[in-house]
Amino acid sequence: MTARVAIVIGFLAVAAAVIVAGAPRAETPAQRVERIAAELRCPVCQGLSVADSSSDTARAMRALIEERVAQGRTDDEVRDEFRRAYGEWIILSPPLLDARGAVWVLPVVALIAGAVVAWLRLGRTPPVAGSPSPEQLRALREREIAEEAVE
Amino acid sequence: MTFADVGGGALRAALALALWGLLASAYAARERDGRALQSARWSALAAFVLVVAASLSMAAALLAHDFTIRYVALNNALETPAYFSAISLWAALEGSILLWTTILAGAVAYVAWRGTREIPRLATTALAVMFAMLAFFLFLVVSPAADPFVRIDPAPLNGRGPNPLLQDHWLMGLHPPLLYLGYVLFSVPFAYAVASLILGEGGDRWIVATRRSALVAWALLGVGIVAGAWWSYAVLGWGGYWAWDPVENAAIMPWLVATAYLHSVMVEEKRRMLRTWNVALVIGAFALTILGTFLTRSGVVNSVHSFTQSAIGPLLLGYLAAVLAFSVGLLLWRAPRLADSGPVGVPLSREAVFLFQNVLFVAATLTVLLGTLYPLVVEAISGAQLSIGSPYFDRVEVPIALALLFLMGVGPQLPWHGASRATLERQFAAPVVVAGAGALLALAVGLRGAAAVLGYALAAFVVATVAQEVMRGVRARRTLHGETAAGAFVNLFRRSGRRYGGYVVHVGIALIALAVVSSQAQAAEAEATLAPGGSMQVAGRTIVFDGLRDVVDPQRTQVVADLRVLDGGTGAALAPALTYYPNATAGIGSPGIRSTAGDDVYAILAAYDARSRAWATLQVRVIPLVSWLWIGGAIVGLGAVIAALPPGRRHSSAVAAPSGTVASVT
Repeated sequence: MTARVAIVIGFLAVAAAVIVAGAPRAETPAQRVERIAAELRCPVCQGLSVADSSSDTARAMRALIEERVAQGRTDDEVRDEFRRAYGEWIILSPPLLDARGAVWVLPVVALIAGAVVAWLRLGRTPPVAGSPSPEQLRALREREIAEEAVE
Repeated sequence: MTFADVGGGALRAALALALWGLLASAYAARERDGRALQSARWSALAAFVLVVAASLSMAAALLAHDFTIRYVALNNALETPAYFSAISLWAALEGSILLWTTILAGAVAYVAWRGTREIPRLATTALAVMFAMLAFFLFLVVSPAADPFVRIDPAPLNGRGPNPLLQDHWLMGLHPPLLYLGYVLFSVPFAYAVASLILGEGGDRWIVATRRSALVAWALLGVGIVAGAWWSYAVLGWGGYWAWDPVENAAIMPWLVATAYLHSVMVEEKRRMLRTWNVALVIGAFALTILGTFLTRSGVVNSVHSFTQSAIGPLLLGYLAAVLAFSVGLLLWRAPRLADSGPVGVPLSREAVFLFQNVLFVAATLTVLLGTLYPLVVEAISGAQLSIGSPYFDRVEVPIALALLFLMGVGPQLPWHGASRATLERQFAAPVVVAGAGALLALAVGLRGAAAVLGYALAAFVVATVAQEVMRGVRARRTLHGETAAGAFVNLFRRSGRRYGGYVVHVGIALIALAVVSSQAQAAEAEATLAPGGSMQVAGRTIVFDGLRDVVDPQRTQVVADLRVLDGGTGAALAPALTYYPNATAGIGSPGIRSTAGDDVYAILAAYDARSRAWATLQVRVIPLVSWLWIGGAIVGLGAVIAALPPGRRHSSAVAAPSGTVASVT
């Protein structure tokens, strides 16, 4: 019983902390700049984002984003401006609602299909003949621990 | 005789020996002929000695600056320091393939002399498979595609020198060989699995025989990946360590599949289940090592159009296709003999956790593969260029990684065959409470974002489960053997190294998770242009700029900014620099790093007054807990060593260990 109470308390603590930490907060302009910069490719680097790169080009692009954010442009407007200048290539993550969205959908499909197959490979009852009682299972477990300890 | 004569001759002789060894070992396996096997063994050893001789002559040519060899002329200069000359062996394509071939020849010799004594027929068949691979790589290094000993006439007076990024840090001597050892050693489990299919064995002798080589390959690849991340952090100067770059993706994919394999193999050993699946995982891990080499060495990742520039690309792609067609064909042919006889287990059992863990690892791998190849496929089909980078990979992989952390804590707590509710409650009470504490701690240190807090909670959960298991093991040994607490603790790792070494790996991964969460979520950054004597503030630290100084070395010139971090009055020094090499147009930024257990101060010299050295633009980041990433990597390696070491002397009553190691080998 005490074990059950401890588990409930632990779970509640995790859940509360996650909810508090995950609650949406108003973004500061600096955070917005950082987020937009992280999604743009630094055109002179090897696969780094504008946020990660300290190259002159990336710093100029970041300055431009800062300016646009200060002017009150939306995220899409800023992104579109770079898209017009450099092409679709400048965006580091493909859009979801598009033919390219497959790259988002496929991992989810693979996960679900894999989980379903795994679930089907599991039996509903223990595979040993006749269901062992909790006491038997516990004895089995104790023996395993003893065996493993001297393995 | 020149270095090129010795090296080129040795490689050609080794190729002849590999072809002979292939025939001899195939004949020996088929006819059970001892003399043919003996001949194959000596061919393997001689081929290994010859390939080592070729590598040594390349190293000697680099150290002696023998510019009559094109590879030396392109990757070495008179001014290159000796250490960086020697490690230029793997600074470019031809040398890397030579290193790969050398390691592979060593693995062939190992199987020939060690393996064939333990399980003669299976290992002899595996040896034939290994000889076939070795012959392919020897063919590469004697063909124009990757011949390291091609001459250049007239020889230049001085060479171009290694790529600047590769002569900036000692880690370059460690990271590539570790990765290559990991990559190549996967060929041993693969060869045994294929041999087992060829012989039509229903059993899992191949798994027992290659347990150690799979573990060692996995560990070397893992530690090599962490060393690469560290190199990226210490050299590239962007304050990060992982960019989901195609080269990084190529290394992580086989590691992910191998991690799945190391776990699901336990289901086969305990329950004789998942036999087809395990063979498929080994084939997958091995194929991904070739795919990785193909992606990084053919130039295809930059653009599909650079694919045809080097003959190595099509050759590696053909090799990959041949390996896949052969091994998958074999597997489909033999699959009926390997089918499972019933359900794997009940939902709340260790085998079920391994099953779902496998699903997650494979999905994670497929995501990396998809994200890496997608731009190439789109470009090949429509000509359109698009990018897939960190935002995509983070969004898909972070949830998978969190789910894996969760299962990493759950798995060891669930017994095989299933658990009762009372057992579950007893097992999970303490770890779940610790997870709650971890989540609250994350809030207290100011972390925000659901994933970050969940990462802390799950890392704490994992460490708690390991602590609980170790305490339980110590208790069991004390009651069973009357050992002292300290003696029981040591014996746990010595006698049951595989299990408890695995737990040490889990702790290392938990530390890496904490380091990644904190360094990603809480890094602070500031940029300032300062005159000497000026200072800036980052995350409560004061950084003072003392001035610029010029450093001239034979192979390079540097402009160094001298900085001090003012905390506790010690004034730790930082020296970020811009380094100029004669063979590079732009300066290479070398960060200045001050590491402590709590955080790193990471400074980059972004720009400076070239005329009068009167000002410098500095970017300074304070990155919490990032050094725990490297420590975690070392702990993962330590755990693998504990798990791979042969167990200490057993009690006579425990010779027939439950896992059946002894029984099934003989």
